[in-house]
Amino acid sequence: MQQTLTLPEGTIASRKADKRRAFFRRKVVPWLFVLPILSINILVVAAPAFSSVYFSMTKWSGIGSAEWIGLANYQALLADPGFHHAFMNNVLWLAMFLTVPIGMALIAASLLAPIRRGAIVFRLSLFIPYVLPSVVSAALWRSLFSPDRGIPALLTDMGIPGFDKAFLGDSRTALPAIAFIDNWHWWGFLMVLFLASMQNIPPDLYESARLDGANRWQEFRDVTLPGIRPTIVFMILMTTIWSFLTFDYIWILTQGGPARATEVLAVLVFKEAFRNFNAGYAAAIGLTMSFFVGCVIAGFQVLRRRGWEI
Amino acid sequence: MRKSLRAIALAGMAALTPLAMLAPATQAQDNVELTMWIESTSGSDVAECVQKNGVEAFNAQGNGITVNTTLQANWWDATRTAIAGGAGPDIVGTPGPSFAMQLALAGQLAPLDDYAKALGWDERFAAGSLDLGMAEGKLYSIPTELETLVLYYNKTLFEQHGWEPPKTLDDLMTLAATIQEAGIIPFSHANAEWRPANEWYVGEMLNHSAGGPQKVYDALVGNVEWTDPDFVAAIDLLNQMQQNGWFMGGLDRYYTTTFPEAGAMFGAGEAAMDIEGTWFLADQEAYFGEEAGNSNEIGWTPMPSVSGEAIFDLGVGSTYSINNNSQHKDEAAKFLDFWFSPENQARLLVACGMVPAAVDLTGQDLTGVNPSLAEILAAMNVAFAEGNYGYTTWTFWPPASETYLIEEIERVWAGEITPEEYLAGHQEKFDAERTEGAVPPIPER
Amino acid sequence: MSTTTLSRGKRREISLAPNYLVLLLLLGFALGPLMVLVFNSLKTQAEIGSNPLGPPQSFMWENFTKAWEVGNFAVTTRNSGILVAVTVAAVLALGGMAAYSLAKLDLPGAGLVTLYLLIGTSLPLQLFLVPLFFTWQRLGLVNNLLGLAIIYVATNAPFAVFLLRSYMLQLPRDFEDAARVDGAGEWQIFTGIVVPLSWPGFLTVGLVVALSVWNEFLLATVFLTDQELFTVVTSYYNFSSRFSRDWSLTSAAALMMILPVVVIFLALQRRFVEGLTQGGLKG
Repeated sequence: MQQTLTLPEGTIASRKADKRRAFFRRKVVPWLFVLPILSINILVVAAPAFSSVYFSMTKWSGIGSAEWIGLANYQALLADPGFHHAFMNNVLWLAMFLTVPIGMALIAASLLAPIRRGAIVFRLSLFIPYVLPSVVSAALWRSLFSPDRGIPALLTDMGIPGFDKAFLGDSRTALPAIAFIDNWHWWGFLMVLFLASMQNIPPDLYESARLDGANRWQEFRDVTLPGIRPTIVFMILMTTIWSFLTFDYIWILTQGGPARATEVLAVLVFKEAFRNFNAGYAAAIGLTMSFFVGCVIAGFQVLRRRGWEI
Repeated sequence: MRKSLRAIALAGMAALTPLAMLAPATQAQDNVELTMWIESTSGSDVAECVQKNGVEAFNAQGNGITVNTTLQANWWDATRTAIAGGAGPDIVGTPGPSFAMQLALAGQLAPLDDYAKALGWDERFAAGSLDLGMAEGKLYSIPTELETLVLYYNKTLFEQHGWEPPKTLDDLMTLAATIQEAGIIPFSHANAEWRPANEWYVGEMLNHSAGGPQKVYDALVGNVEWTDPDFVAAIDLLNQMQQNGWFMGGLDRYYTTTFPEAGAMFGAGEAAMDIEGTWFLADQEAYFGEEAGNSNEIGWTPMPSVSGEAIFDLGVGSTYSINNNSQHKDEAAKFLDFWFSPENQARLLVACGMVPAAVDLTGQDLTGVNPSLAEILAAMNVAFAEGNYGYTTWTFWPPASETYLIEEIERVWAGEITPEEYLAGHQEKFDAERTEGAVPPIPER
Repeated sequence: MSTTTLSRGKRREISLAPNYLVLLLLLGFALGPLMVLVFNSLKTQAEIGSNPLGPPQSFMWENFTKAWEVGNFAVTTRNSGILVAVTVAAVLALGGMAAYSLAKLDLPGAGLVTLYLLIGTSLPLQLFLVPLFFTWQRLGLVNNLLGLAIIYVATNAPFAVFLLRSYMLQLPRDFEDAARVDGAGEWQIFTGIVVPLSWPGFLTVGLVVALSVWNEFLLATVFLTDQELFTVVTSYYNFSSRFSRDWSLTSAAALMMILPVVVIFLALQRRFVEGLTQGGLKG
């Protein structure tokens, strides 16, 4: 009885409380979930990154004090043919990595998805190259690529022409050769990601597609691809970012040579910062790289606003 | 010897105010620990050998100082970053004077002048050699591992074919052509593992051109342009050698062959010659003789020059300094004093094949040193003493110009630019770094 | 479960032979080079010279014991193990939370967070090495496994968060909505429903992070300069340069470094598949 009597007052109070609780739940709780990792990331990445914005406008050897020179580094950068060349190599690299590994991974994953017998063996074996550290796979492939002792020697002995040369040592083939090695190590990982994503596609979608008389290709195009779209789009985005950062394999195998054929932006950054004591200039290159990547990401964000679920 | 050194050190300590002031802080019975990092990736077992024979010998003295060495896989990046971040080891090693100079200019190294005076380093080191460690008029680093480059050849192979070691560059070119005709690779040169190997050949050609080291000196101090016809001719010659396929049989092989592969071909007589530094002799047993499974012998001759005169180019493999952040600078100085004693340098040479600093090793027991190495060092020392030496690019060039020489020569070989354009571009870089004062000190000639 | 069985039955109708054919080719491409590595690790140096690609004539098992001892793998494997465990645990816990917020909670300002994390990923490591070291030095986190693990958590976070998010986006909303109606808090929904459902995603991310930590070189060699704290990559580096002429020993060291990861991966693979079949993801 008492409760019914106090009901009106209570409703007003509880409505306020409800509102507050709803606000807390909708606006504050989501941030509480993000905050821990975000603060660690800011401490490690953002704070030093801001300092590199400053350093990019200085003449700085990388040690000791820096001298303010405004935008001179950026002006020098725009006029530097080495920078343009490296940028184009990154674009080439991006083109190779947006097509070959993603294509291979999609094909393998969709072929593997319906398989039960031996699935584990395939999944494991195709992924294993990804386990190798870059130093190991680079050294391994360097010897495999040797025209005198490696696979090309084997092919030459079999009478197949065109393999009596060192692909890593020719300006025309060095970059694709490194990309080939990096891809050997990389694509299996993509495949596993796609496969895990494909496992989440509800099987009845395949059922109905098949009932509609879809063939393999149609099934792939109409069910698989849309089903794993978030993962594909995400990996395209990450591939883009990583293509601008690519460094390991190139540095280990050619250090940017021969004759700049494999020089990419990250190699430039490393050389300017660690070899030439031009850390200020290196910061400018690095930030310009990030700027390009930022543009790509912004493009994705715009698409997202337009209703693409990515 | 050890006793007298300690006596000198103690006498120096008493005389020196900064040392005397710090002395109470470090009681004799307190063990002071110093840190030092050694590059572990310099190949073979040199790092461990140096640790065992150099550092442990110091620690065994029991003078209250212990030096703890760590073998670092990414030695220079780690050192540089740590020092820039206000940390790093007490005893700082760098890969050469131009690197030490950058650290010194940033105020990260302790000046060594007082120690040098108190400990008598001026008398111990060959005249002018400490100049290489100067920055803005003060001594910051001590150069060590004085190295040079020569022309090694497969002696057994040469004897079989009746070839004579060349004296002039003309001889060298003729001989290389003959060797190639015999179906043998003239030079076992390759840069797959170490792209800066390019600069060995660029530097040798510049110093051994018609103008000789004198002209290189003039260019380094700014009296002559790098586009001088002598230099152009030198680079042109180097380009011809590469275009003829004399380096490892072709450009693609040059870029992809590893040192062990190249060394094995050199030792087996599949390649005939090698222009390389004294460091090669530390590894030669792996390629020549019993261990390599052949009965071939290695020979050496000074790198041929246009004039035929024997010219040795001076290189400094590394330097040692004291970290400005160190709490124990005096103890670190004592260690350096020990390190650069003729006794220790001789021991490291004998045990590890590490070429010594510019200290006088007469009277030291040098039995067991590779005979070729002993000969080269003797010849080199005579040349240095007479002031008639050439200049290696990694010792006397500022960093960005050096990188330019290393990388852009590949564009000459690729036919993208001419030797003239290559040298003109170098002039530009060099001028810029000269104005900034980044050129390492060049001892007067 | 019945739908799954049905679909399996149906799928058998399409011939899988072409699938196996193509997959076998890819398998050869992936494993061929590794076979060469295994072969070479068992040869003598001389045999590699005469027979660089084929199977070994001799079996030099002592290559492995030598590599283990000389490379000091006993110490470095332990250090890398600690780094991997701490980093993976933190990334999965904290990254999972963030991913949940981004995927399911309508985080206000989600676009900005995404943008920030992605742009952070695009900065080359070499750029912030010195400022970071400076900070870490002052915080006493240099030469400290935990200190390095924090950096790894930060650098691995963006990828982990977005990958987990893309898994969570695929989860049907019905379960959570039902739980919300029942009055469950977000934390309960996260730990009770979303985490168990996105189990394969967490495993994949854990594996990726573990590998990147295990194989990382630059940060490990700059932030750890005490011999007792070195990681496996350092072992391999020191080893491969000391024995650069001995490709057989180096191959053995390489395998030594890969082996623990392969074993863990094998162990996880089982669970991975179990997680998939038990997860109740019938759509």
